[in-house]
Amino acid sequence: MNYLLSQIDGMGRFVTKQLEYTFHVLMMVYLSFRATILDQAQGLRTIVSVISAQIYFTGFQALPLITTLALTTGGILILQGMGNLTLLGGTGMIGNFLVVVLVREVAPLLTALVVIARSGTAVASEVGNMRANREIDALESMGINPLSFIVFPRVLGGVISVMCLAFYFIVISLIGGFLITRFLHSMPLNFYTESLLNAFAKEDVLIFILKNSFSGMIIFVVCCYQGLSVKKSPHEVPQATTQAVVNSIIFVTMFNLAVTALVYIGKLKEIGVI
Amino acid sequence: MGQIIHQVQIESLKFEGLTFQHEGHDATFNHVDFEFPTNQILWLNSTEGAGKSTLLQILAGLVVPKSGKYLINDVNVTEMSFEEFLPFRLAIGFSFDYGGLISNRTLFDNLMLPLVYHKLLSPEDSKEQVMSLFERFDFVKFKDERPAHVPGRLRKLACLLRAFVLQPQMVLLDDPSVGLGQETMYEFADFLNEKMKFGNLKHLVISSYDEKFMNLFDGTVLHIEEGQIYKNTEPQEKKVAHL
Repeated sequence: MNYLLSQIDGMGRFVTKQLEYTFHVLMMVYLSFRATILDQAQGLRTIVSVISAQIYFTGFQALPLITTLALTTGGILILQGMGNLTLLGGTGMIGNFLVVVLVREVAPLLTALVVIARSGTAVASEVGNMRANREIDALESMGINPLSFIVFPRVLGGVISVMCLAFYFIVISLIGGFLITRFLHSMPLNFYTESLLNAFAKEDVLIFILKNSFSGMIIFVVCCYQGLSVKKSPHEVPQATTQAVVNSIIFVTMFNLAVTALVYIGKLKEIGVI
Repeated sequence: MGQIIHQVQIESLKFEGLTFQHEGHDATFNHVDFEFPTNQILWLNSTEGAGKSTLLQILAGLVVPKSGKYLINDVNVTEMSFEEFLPFRLAIGFSFDYGGLISNRTLFDNLMLPLVYHKLLSPEDSKEQVMSLFERFDFVKFKDERPAHVPGRLRKLACLLRAFVLQPQMVLLDDPSVGLGQETMYEFADFLNEKMKFGNLKHLVISSYDEKFMNLFDGTVLHIEEGQIYKNTEPQEKKVAHL
C-alpha cells in the first residue's frame, strides 16, 4: 500500500512539475511579447537586425542539411508508396499518401528536429553563456529588457525560419524525391503532379501553419527559457542545453500528435462516425 | 517604440525594513532601515560574503528584495515593472566585478549599445563620446576587438567605462580596481574624481577591498555586518599615498 501511495505521490509530483514548467514557459512567451510592445526605446531596426540574424543562422545555414534530408525522405516515401500502392492497385493514391505522410507529418517533425539539433542547442547555450557571463544582467543594468532584446527576436526569427524550412522541405522532397528516384520507377511526371494536386486540401494549409509556427515557437521559447534558467556558473550551460533539447523534442512531438489527433477526430465527425 | 526616455533626478536613497535572501541561504539583509548619504562617494567595505555585491545589485534594481521597501526619491521602486523603473535605471550606471561585456560585440559596440538603444544622443555625438573614452584610456587600437580577444585589463576597463556612457547620476562599481593594473587604476580614479567634481555624477558607490585605490577618494565608509548596514562615523585614515 505504501509503495502504491509513493508511486502515486511521485507521479503527482511529476505532473505538477511539468505543469509548472509549461506555465513558466507560457509566461515567458507572454512577458516577451509584452516587453516588446511596451519597450519604448527599442527601435524596429534593432529587432529586425536580430530577427534577420536568427533567420540566417536557423533558416539559411540549415538549407544543405534540410535539402539532403528532404531528398532522401522524399525518395524513400515515393519508393515505398509506389511499391506498396502498386501491389494494392492504388498507384493513383500516391498523391494522397505523400500529402498525408510527408506534408502533414514528416516534414514538420523532421524540420523541427533539425532546428532543435542545430539552432535550439545554439540558442540555449548562447543564452546560458550570456547568463553565466552576466551579459543578461548587464543588459538589464543598461535599461535593455532581455525579454524584448534577446528572447522575442529569437522566437520570431525562429518561427519564420521553421515555416520557411518546412515549406522548402516539402517542395524539395516532393519534386526532388521524385526526380532522384525516377530511374527506379516508371511513373510519368504529369500523373504524379496531378495526383499530388488532387490530394492537396485547404486543411493542409491550416495544418502546415499550425504545426510549423507552433513548433518554431515551442523550440525557441523552451531553449531561451532553459538558457535563462542558468544561474551563475558556466558548468550549468551543458545541462541547460541538454534539457532544452529534451524538452523541445517532447513538447514538439506532443503538439504534433495533438494536432493530428484533432484532425483525425474532425475527420471522424465529418463522416459521421462520432 | 522608438521613444526617448529621460533619467530622473536621484535625490535620496532609502531602505525601509528591507530583507534580502539568496535561495537556500541565510538572509543577507534583515529588516534594514537605512538612508544612504547622497552627493558623495560611498565605500562599501566589509568581509567577504557580507553582501556588498548584493547591496549594489539591489541599489541598481537588478535583484528584488524579499520584503521591505527600496525608496528612490521616497518612491518605492521594488514593486515597479521593468518599464516603470526604466527612468530610474537610466540614471544608474553599474559595473560588475567580472564579466558583463556582450561577447559577440566589439568593445566599441559594447560602449555604444546603451547610447544607440536609448537614443539619448545623436549617432555622431554617441560615437564622439565613446571615442573620447577610448582615447583617454589609450586603447583605441582595441576598439574593434571582441572582449575575448583583448587582455583582461581592457575588458575590465571597458566594462567600467560603459557604466558612464549614459552620463548617470549614480554609479555603482563592484571591485573596480581588481585587474586594472596600477597605471590604469590611477587614471580611472582621476576620471571618477573628475566626474564627481565636474560631471553629472552625484552619487558613487564602490565596493572594494583595495585600500590603496579607495584612499584616492574622499567619502563615507559603509559596513555590512550581520545583515545590517552601518555608516562609519570615524574619519577615514589614509594609509597609502598616491605616488
